[in-house]
Amino acid sequence: MWKDIRDREAGKLRPNSFANRVKSDRTSSLQLSNHKDIVSPHRGSVNSLQVDLTEGRYLLSGASDASAAVFDIQRATHSEGLIAKHQCIFAVDKQHEHGHQYAISSAIWYPVDTGLFVTGSYDHHINVWDTNTTQVVVNFKLPGKVYRTAMSSLATSHMLIAAGTEDVQVRLCDISSGAFSHTLSGHRDGVMSVAWSASSEWVLITGGCDGAIRFWDIRRAGCFRVLDQSQSQLGRRPPISGWTANKLSTSKSLLASQGSNMKSRIPHKKLANGNATKPSATGKLPAKGSTRQRLHPGLLSSQDRAVSHYGAVTGLKVTGDGMYLLSAGSDSRLKLWDVESGCNTLVNYETMRLQTNKPLQLATSEDSALVFAPCMATVKAFDMWTGKTSLTFSGHYEGVNCCWYNFPDQELYTGGNDRQILVWSPSRNSTELDWESTADRDNWSD
Amino acid sequence: MTMAEERGEGAKVRVLIEKATNSTDSEVHPRLLKAIKSVVRYSDSELRVAAQTLMDLMKRDHSQVRYLSLLVIDELFMRSKLFRSLVVEKLDQLLTLSVGFRRNMLLPEPAAVASTLRSKAIEFLEKWNDSFGIYHRKLRLGYDYLRNTLQLQFPNIQANAMRRQQERMERERRSKEILLGKFEMLKANFSSIKEEIQSTLDEIKECLDIVHCKEDARDMIPLDDDTTEEFRSTELRQIRLNALKEGEMVHENQDNKVIFDALRELYKLMSKHLVSIQEWTSVLVRVDSTDIRFRDSALREFIDIRNSLRAVKKRCEESGCYFTESANHDDENEDFWEEGPVGAMENGGSVASKRKNEDVVVAPTSNVIKNTDTKTSSEAHVSNPVHNGEVCSSSNSASSLRNNLLAEAPIIEWGPFLSTWDSKTDILANQRGLELESHWGRVDYDATIPAEKIAELSVRASLYKEDQPEIQPCHAPLRKGGLCPRRDLKVCPFHGPIVPRDDEGRPLNVSSSLDETTPDLKIGSVEKLARQAVKNVRARYKEAAEKREHDKKTLKRAKLAKIREHNEGVLRDAALASTSRSAALGEHMETTDEGTRSAWNKKKTLASMLRKKASTKERLSRRLLGARSRALTKRELTLNEDANYGEAFPNQW
Repeated sequence: MWKDIRDREAGKLRPNSFANRVKSDRTSSLQLSNHKDIVSPHRGSVNSLQVDLTEGRYLLSGASDASAAVFDIQRATHSEGLIAKHQCIFAVDKQHEHGHQYAISSAIWYPVDTGLFVTGSYDHHINVWDTNTTQVVVNFKLPGKVYRTAMSSLATSHMLIAAGTEDVQVRLCDISSGAFSHTLSGHRDGVMSVAWSASSEWVLITGGCDGAIRFWDIRRAGCFRVLDQSQSQLGRRPPISGWTANKLSTSKSLLASQGSNMKSRIPHKKLANGNATKPSATGKLPAKGSTRQRLHPGLLSSQDRAVSHYGAVTGLKVTGDGMYLLSAGSDSRLKLWDVESGCNTLVNYETMRLQTNKPLQLATSEDSALVFAPCMATVKAFDMWTGKTSLTFSGHYEGVNCCWYNFPDQELYTGGNDRQILVWSPSRNSTELDWESTADRDNWSD
Repeated sequence: MTMAEERGEGAKVRVLIEKATNSTDSEVHPRLLKAIKSVVRYSDSELRVAAQTLMDLMKRDHSQVRYLSLLVIDELFMRSKLFRSLVVEKLDQLLTLSVGFRRNMLLPEPAAVASTLRSKAIEFLEKWNDSFGIYHRKLRLGYDYLRNTLQLQFPNIQANAMRRQQERMERERRSKEILLGKFEMLKANFSSIKEEIQSTLDEIKECLDIVHCKEDARDMIPLDDDTTEEFRSTELRQIRLNALKEGEMVHENQDNKVIFDALRELYKLMSKHLVSIQEWTSVLVRVDSTDIRFRDSALREFIDIRNSLRAVKKRCEESGCYFTESANHDDENEDFWEEGPVGAMENGGSVASKRKNEDVVVAPTSNVIKNTDTKTSSEAHVSNPVHNGEVCSSSNSASSLRNNLLAEAPIIEWGPFLSTWDSKTDILANQRGLELESHWGRVDYDATIPAEKIAELSVRASLYKEDQPEIQPCHAPLRKGGLCPRRDLKVCPFHGPIVPRDDEGRPLNVSSSLDETTPDLKIGSVEKLARQAVKNVRARYKEAAEKREHDKKTLKRAKLAKIREHNEGVLRDAALASTSRSAALGEHMETTDEGTRSAWNKKKTLASMLRKKASTKERLSRRLLGARSRALTKRELTLNEDANYGEAFPNQW
């Protein structure tokens, strides 16, 4: 630590890498925080947690008792000794006139600011709430239980809520108009997990109970990719030679058809694949792309049947750079997919068991080095690229449903069926522990 | 090297813990516990081993083991910080194993122990949370989870204690307030209280003086003795015969009666004052007021007043003025009021006497009487002499007559007929207080109902009451002790006809009949005699049989003793003959196996706690094995023995 600081002082270490080093150090020392308690007002299992994306300060939680609450995680409401208690700033529950009737399965912030938040519930409704007045602004009625809602944090041209429901169709709810703007059909069963791409504001990824993960471009009909667990690549970066023409063509055709809007993805690709792939890919593009177009606007029918998990896909998480996709399935597997190639990277995560009947919320660390995945009553942190378990967080007494990693504070929040929201923070330095040690000592009477 | 050492040390603590938890007691053996603590205290590695061992023991499929381990855990938990941190890390596991809140991991077998384990675990968790909850988030979490999510009932020891403390404080505060209020009141009324008491004292003194003066002046002032009636002399003499001397006494008579009454009154007032002063002093002592000066002075004054009051009281008593206790007065009052309505004649008498007394009281008006204004006291004052007077006057004749009458009088249940008891007057029919003016025509106000008619109408109703015959309980002795409590008229279904029995349940009649019939033949019938004869014969026969059996038994026993003696001798020889090596081996085995064997024995008891019945197969096999081994040893030992001898005495070697 001190050496790093000296290096930084001397200019041997770049600010960025120094910060990253400190952050990863802190992340690797996460443990159950004894100085920060979130007083959960929920009377049911906590299903969803999210810290707002603008300030990184307000934690939104949704629970099975149809209540959602917002906490200030920076400033405690009161403290007992050194334990800071964070009580909710406000909570909405069944008593609220427009509150949900049944469990809230997902609660998310409006990505642009904290003025709105969205809750999806098992009572078939999605409510958009005004945070300041805690009133429902927009209300969507969906055909089935809402499992997951998602909003794109990149979006500048739309404000759509993607809703995965019991229904086979994924609906996009437009807040500005208050109507469904899209109905995406392709899944053969309910949709348990929904995620927007982190690299393109128009790409939506959905995982269904049929085990398929589908990629949708919301500007055109049909899904453009179904991930297939049998198509795999070894390692983190796809070897160039390993690319089959067909696969290349699908992605490239996509690229071509999308035109300018895919520019945002191209730089990533450059980064990922290096310069060598670029010419070959563009060279092959026209012919294959046209055939693909003629065959089917969406996909080949054989591809359409591909599955990524045996059983339902319960959780999806796009890494921060948008290049990889993590998926959790009811087959108790965690899989890492290369978004570019659509290949399973065959990283073997040492999961023991995953909850199968509920959508799970995964989290990744800022530099995508760690994956936080709820495994029954514990949360495990896996190394993203090797799949090794680096940390195990056990503190919940029942199954954990969701976790959220807060980048600015390097804190992890987890919510479980035992109604608790736990804070896992980097271990504190020794000076702060002094107080504890003075009071908490051995007392041998004999 | 160090590792091995550590392992060795760890083994020590592990053995200790295992020994401590391997018991059927409801507590860990205190010496073992102490040993564990002393071992663990000085070595962290030992502590770690202990924690690990205890957690392993908690997984044992036996509630007793878990319970004892939990007790050890609690002991160490309250003492060692390292142990706390180790245990808290696995708190969910510990709670699962001790509280058994997970549906798929219920507590193991002995159900009674399991329930104590559970309650103890909950209690410990609360205790731990109270003491160390702020240092360990997991403790708080576990506590919260069990309490709020699973809604288990916690004993709430601390909260209860706090609440009790608070209640007590509240009560104390309230009583203090009341005291303070009293104190303030006293402060305000102090002078008036003092004055009142002083005036009472003065009056008493005056009265006493007057009495004594009269006594002195009695000789000089001629009293008309024929009008004065010795009211109380007899009674008074009876009461104070032993206590007082006649000559020194001031006798109460017609003219100093007023003064005596007043004195009695004042005396009562004084005792009341005495009580109130006692109260005030206690208030003064208990109150913690800022006004100490006043308190002290008031206290002093009160003590003075009390002393003077006592002195006066004593003087009163000495002066021969008898003062019955107030309680006594009340009793007499009650008596009087009870007596009142009994007879009209008596009532009238008492009224008359009362009037007379009142006349007497009213006649000499003096300053004394004004003190008798309190209602109750005046009542008592009036009633007391009335009663006394009445009793006095009628002590010879009236009371005895009344007693006689009371003894004679029938006891009758209350009824409406009592209102017209013995009345011979006719009753006006239309004078009942109701104005029924010409609603139904003219009303004859003078219409009467003759007395006979009234008597006829309100004739005394009497209900036939069957008097329940007392059914005697059977009282036959029961096998389990006690007597048969059944009450049947003639025949008890279990013990036959009901006969009178004594306290131990033996029938009285039989023995008495036996005793009686034998000497006097006249009463005993032939049948009885025959029965008796049969009985006698049977008894004799039985005796003989018993004796025979007894003889047989003693014979047998003697034989067996002989055989046993012989057998022991043979075995001793065999033992002496056996090689020293085997003996040494046996000894060695014993020493090494001592620990394990004792453990085995204990485990057996633990296992027996599980009350798992051994299957038939196991039992059979054990039996067979045992039999076989026994047979083997037997054969070996009998090898040298004479076969014939063996045949002749199969039980002998």
